[in-house]
Amino acid sequence: MHFVIIGNGVAGTTAALTLRQREPKAGITMISGESDYFFSRTALMYAYMDRMSLHDLEPFERKVFPKQNIRLVRDWVTDLDASSRTLRLKSGHSLAYDRLLLAVGSLANLPAWPGLDKAREGVVHFVTLQDLEKCERLTNSTREAVVVGGGLIGVELVECLVFHGKKVTFLVRSPWYWPAALAREESEIVTEHIRRHGVDVRGGEEVSEVLVGDSSRVRGIRTKSGAEFPCQMLGISIGVGPAVEWLRQVTTPPHMQRGIIISPSFATSLENVWAAGDCAEFERDGKPTVEQIWYTAKRQGELAARAMLGDGINYKPPIFYNSAMFFEIEYTTAGMAIDVPAGAESFFCRIPGKEASIRVIAHHGAVMGFNMLGARWNHTFFERWIAERRTMDYVLEHLAEAQFDVEFGRLDLAAVAPSYREWKQQEAQAAAAR
Amino acid sequence: MVRQGKISWLTHDLTHRGVTAWLLTAILVGFYLLLYFTERLTAVAHWIRLDSKWTLYGLLYTFAIVIGGIHVIRKYRHNRYQVVRTSVVMFVQVVFAFAIPHILKFLHQPEYYFSYLWPLKFEYFVPGNIFKMPLPYILYSFLGSLIMVPLLGIFFGKRWYCSWVCGCGGLANTAGDPLRHLTSKSSAAWKFEKVAVHTVLGLCIALTALLFITWGVGDRHPALSRFTYQFQSLYGFIVVVMLTGIIGAALYPLGGTRIWCRNFCPMAALLGLVQKFGRFRITVKENMCISCGLCSKYCEMGIDVRSYAQSNTNFTRASCVGCGLCAAVCPRGVLRLENVTRRDPQEIALVQISEIQPVARVAI
Repeated sequence: MHFVIIGNGVAGTTAALTLRQREPKAGITMISGESDYFFSRTALMYAYMDRMSLHDLEPFERKVFPKQNIRLVRDWVTDLDASSRTLRLKSGHSLAYDRLLLAVGSLANLPAWPGLDKAREGVVHFVTLQDLEKCERLTNSTREAVVVGGGLIGVELVECLVFHGKKVTFLVRSPWYWPAALAREESEIVTEHIRRHGVDVRGGEEVSEVLVGDSSRVRGIRTKSGAEFPCQMLGISIGVGPAVEWLRQVTTPPHMQRGIIISPSFATSLENVWAAGDCAEFERDGKPTVEQIWYTAKRQGELAARAMLGDGINYKPPIFYNSAMFFEIEYTTAGMAIDVPAGAESFFCRIPGKEASIRVIAHHGAVMGFNMLGARWNHTFFERWIAERRTMDYVLEHLAEAQFDVEFGRLDLAAVAPSYREWKQQEAQAAAAR
Repeated sequence: MVRQGKISWLTHDLTHRGVTAWLLTAILVGFYLLLYFTERLTAVAHWIRLDSKWTLYGLLYTFAIVIGGIHVIRKYRHNRYQVVRTSVVMFVQVVFAFAIPHILKFLHQPEYYFSYLWPLKFEYFVPGNIFKMPLPYILYSFLGSLIMVPLLGIFFGKRWYCSWVCGCGGLANTAGDPLRHLTSKSSAAWKFEKVAVHTVLGLCIALTALLFITWGVGDRHPALSRFTYQFQSLYGFIVVVMLTGIIGAALYPLGGTRIWCRNFCPMAALLGLVQKFGRFRITVKENMCISCGLCSKYCEMGIDVRSYAQSNTNFTRASCVGCGLCAAVCPRGVLRLENVTRRDPQEIALVQISEIQPVARVAI
């Protein structure tokens, strides 16, 4: 039996190691065009900021792969023929498989801004190792940088550029930073924090044109409001999408929408081909979803490997959670905290004197989401309270149990209870008025 | 990527085994050679009206800890554990390792360092040495080493000493902070550490036993006395002079900050064994690690913290000194240092979680 995995990211590598655990004898080959070894993509920023070397980003010692007899191939796959179970590689070689896992990850989304096609130099993303190399090459010839796109990768790139002493403008299309994850109140805390690091954060600004200077290098951007921002480096981080364009041209493309459509057992429309991680499109609450999150990819990599081994896997996306860091502000979320259904109640409390806040959201009397800023929380408690359909009263009474701050540094929750009582009174009055 | 500019280049070079790091190492080695084997520094000490070169060394050491400590407190100002811990380390150094011994000397008392205990401070268990001191010092020496050290180790782990009190750890965690990532993370280094540190502990206990026997049998066995004396001199030269001073502190810029603590310190070895049976542990938040590796990179004891974090494994490693830097640098708040007690409500709740809802564990 020969298992082939395309992609050596967290989904692919987790799958390879899971396969090996169960199948000591099978052939396992992992192909990547991006890097020789699995590295932590989420830590790219620390390499850019001189806190780690590229080697440090590798979660496993390199000798793990020969020891586990996992063959690593550095190449790009150009063709997939499921009828003959063969891959063709860019180097000209072909590779036969018995079972194939597509764990090809995602790539930066590209906007269609006028002028962008003329800019041959100075435009960067921050997703792949090659993106990092490009950023590093451009850094020392850059004085001013513009980063467009209000997500997590954007703020990470901003932090790196601030570290390198650049004058950074951070353009966000929406009225406030990261509306997909933060409500206005949380976003204000974060935005103010980013501004204090010397970043010019502009909400509600959309790029209308990329300005190109001599030798085709970016020299600035113009926004729809008419403002111009000079820059020698333009970071585009308007999200990522499944890296599946190449799959549309192969001999036997799997069924795809935004990503590769998978069944609850990670099977694609092709026989003997499975998919997992960023590139896989699955259903969450009946809606087609792609989730470009480390934790999702890691979990799916393990489960897909088990599905490939014949285990009856019926993947139900677990309660959503994520975490992030905006410069020094830590962020934890669980459940549904944004785009909540009509009638959901949302209790928000800013901790006085701190860049910290808590938000608990409930619907029909049961909590459904948490959004926490500026402190450490154990998300497993949030997941459990959501699964147990606990009331808001219960959760606020037990909130301290979920705290995960360092010793001596536990966030003081004294202000939460009075704030909650007040909020409940207001809610009751509002209900009475209706 | 290194920041542009001369100062950034220098900082990077100094902290990444560059030319300047080798140069600094040479200077530090030179300093220790002068200190241990010549009297040149005595002249310097007298010139600034200090009584001996050791007082001068103590003063420099204290300065290094205080200045480094201020830097560390600023750097980790968002982390209360680091702020509190570093403040305590600075306080202990200034008061217990510098001021009090000199005040005692001024009062014609023994120059006693309350922050150093056997087996680290070997002299305090040398009968010919300790029994000359007044009773309170004798009691402190024995009760401190035999009862206080292990007892606190059971409750708080090794860290109460290695990261909160000890001057060696104090220097590593303050002035040495910019070099902490240089500690080797290789499995070969780990194998060496296990053998070396327990060998020194064994030698230390053997020598102590020998000293008591020799003291007990008195002058009846001159051959034994001679052997013990030679053993003691050799231990003093190799462990105290070479390993604590030259290898332990002068090689910071090449081998990281805890070479002594990790590989040779008998106190660390002893407390490590206690720690394994004690309450201290590092708790890993389930499925929250992004495998970035900052924890491993900044572990000064060379523990591959990431391997525990990414496989959701709570752990207690004998070598862990509980400095808490892994938890401080973690960008997802995955790690927490804890003294686990059964009554901890979080602990009880966590047990309930694993009973109610067996979460799919991704263990690799």
